[in-house]
Amino acid sequence: MNQFRALLIKELKEAIRDRRAFMAAMIMAMLAPVLIYVSSVFAIEEAVEKPDVYIHIRGAESAPDLVEQLAQENIFSATGASDDDLRKWSDRRIELLIPVNYAADMRGGSSVDLVLRADMSDTSLSSPLRRIRNAINDYSRGLGVKRVLLRGIDINLLRPIAVEEQDLSSPNSSAAFINTMLLFYLLFGAFITGLSVAVDTSAGERERNVLEFLLCQPVPTYQVVAAKLLTASCVAVIGVVLTLALTSIAVGFIDLGKVGATFSLSAVTVVLLLLLLIPLCLFASSVHLLLAFQAKTFKEAQSIVSMVIVVPAFIPFALMLMENKPTYLQWLPISGQYLLMEDLLKGLSIEPLSVIAVTLTTVAATFGLFAILARRLQSEKTVLALS
Amino acid sequence: MIEVRSLRKQFGDVVALQDLSFTAEDGQITGLLGPNGAGKTTCLRMLFGLLKPDNGTALVDGIDASADALTTRARIGIFPDKFGSYERLTVTEQVEFFASLQGLAGSEKKQAVTQVIGDLQMNDIADRKSSGFSQGQRMKIALAQALVHRPPNLIMDEPTRGLDVMSTRMLRRHLAELREAGHCILFSSHVMQEVAALCDRIVIVAEGRLAAAGTTEELCALAGETQLEDAFVKLIGTDEGVAA
Repeated sequence: MNQFRALLIKELKEAIRDRRAFMAAMIMAMLAPVLIYVSSVFAIEEAVEKPDVYIHIRGAESAPDLVEQLAQENIFSATGASDDDLRKWSDRRIELLIPVNYAADMRGGSSVDLVLRADMSDTSLSSPLRRIRNAINDYSRGLGVKRVLLRGIDINLLRPIAVEEQDLSSPNSSAAFINTMLLFYLLFGAFITGLSVAVDTSAGERERNVLEFLLCQPVPTYQVVAAKLLTASCVAVIGVVLTLALTSIAVGFIDLGKVGATFSLSAVTVVLLLLLLIPLCLFASSVHLLLAFQAKTFKEAQSIVSMVIVVPAFIPFALMLMENKPTYLQWLPISGQYLLMEDLLKGLSIEPLSVIAVTLTTVAATFGLFAILARRLQSEKTVLALS
Repeated sequence: MIEVRSLRKQFGDVVALQDLSFTAEDGQITGLLGPNGAGKTTCLRMLFGLLKPDNGTALVDGIDASADALTTRARIGIFPDKFGSYERLTVTEQVEFFASLQGLAGSEKKQAVTQVIGDLQMNDIADRKSSGFSQGQRMKIALAQALVHRPPNLIMDEPTRGLDVMSTRMLRRHLAELREAGHCILFSSHVMQEVAALCDRIVIVAEGRLAAAGTTEELCALAGETQLEDAFVKLIGTDEGVAA
């Protein structure tokens, strides 16, 4: 126990005193709340406010009422725009083509075909295009209702079926964009914050010629590995806790009321999130250590381990695309934590059995990797690679 | 006492050690001399319990290193071939760390650390982190780490490599003191002058075998030469791979 305590203290001192690596890890954790705050504020502005949109309207003179209706929705003709606004919209060209017979067809009560032309694959145009479509549809619907009314027809005939939507989502799930981002950062944080410490304590120690001397001491290799694993995981847990705490504070500054959403992390949610994340931090660090010990140099270890963090980033995206998720995904490391944390952040209740199951599989996987590592450090192949 | 009996080790097609036997007695400095690639480091790694012999035994105070590596490691002080240091720890913290790994604790550990730091005249650097230290200062840390638990046996792999004259003299002096105190010192090197100046007995290893063993005078007499270097070349049968 005395030996293990010495190993752990030495690893922790080294990790904390490597200021550059430690601060880089912590900045990563602190960056998440900042990014969540900034992107949320932008998303809310986009959803609630109606920034000016400038479009090229051909044939505007034939449809002054329509142009006026669009202007009320802050959609203006580029003809009257300032040079500054024109510059801003120069590479986001939207055209609305109004046919020359528009006025005559309107008078005759016929249907008119307008053309909306833009690069529909450009995501920065999706919001302006949606607003233009809505404005035109509203205007068209209003005209239709007036025409029917003038003919003395009950307007309810126009909508034989009406759908009333009742939102059953919990208040928290309405802040879906924050949940998704936080979830991603927590998973990513578990894998990235302990990375530099794991590489430094394995490949770094070997490159600094201290690993062989350490392996010559009267200490079982499992204690050496355990100290390294706990230290790297400890830094990852600090990163995850920091992300959670700072996100809670940062979200308090976002006016979610504007979109009718709320976001709060109750103490129970935080505890459950940490219960799910701590084993994941251990698992992530054991993966890092195993790969870093395999590498021939410190640089090679850094490159290999950095590539592996693509996995936790990829899994959430893959899960988002799966409509029918197989049950076993709930029990596997990373996917299990992701699915349970998703429900937790939405405010849904989760099965304690699911938490236990995924924790057990993650701990078992970590223990398996730990055992492989402890054996590898005893192997002649590892010893021969030291020189 | 360190005893190597019929050690054999093969890596793939390469035979690193074949039937190597020698003894390093207590109260003596035994030099393990051989050209590069002779199998010295492989032999020492078997004494540390890092490699297992294909045949034969490596004994430290009668304990088989491959059967009970942890016990033998507690009975040896190791001065490794490449001695690095934990640059983010102070000298005292590093020595304390290895003292704890050797099972020392509390006041006993504190006393041992103070003693070894004083013995090696390291008080001026004791509270400094080793980043930026000279090779000589690093050598002292490695030696302190090897000696803090006062092991009966000391195994040194090329200890004077990269050291300046003053550090080498200091190391020699300290080894002489340890010999006087009855420690068994096994000193691996390929530097002839070093071994001749320091060792009571020399074990010459070539191509993984024992080429000869004895005092400097005995080896010279055996080869019919007056200089150890000439005797060494004659005994190993070639001058290929012999470093100055």
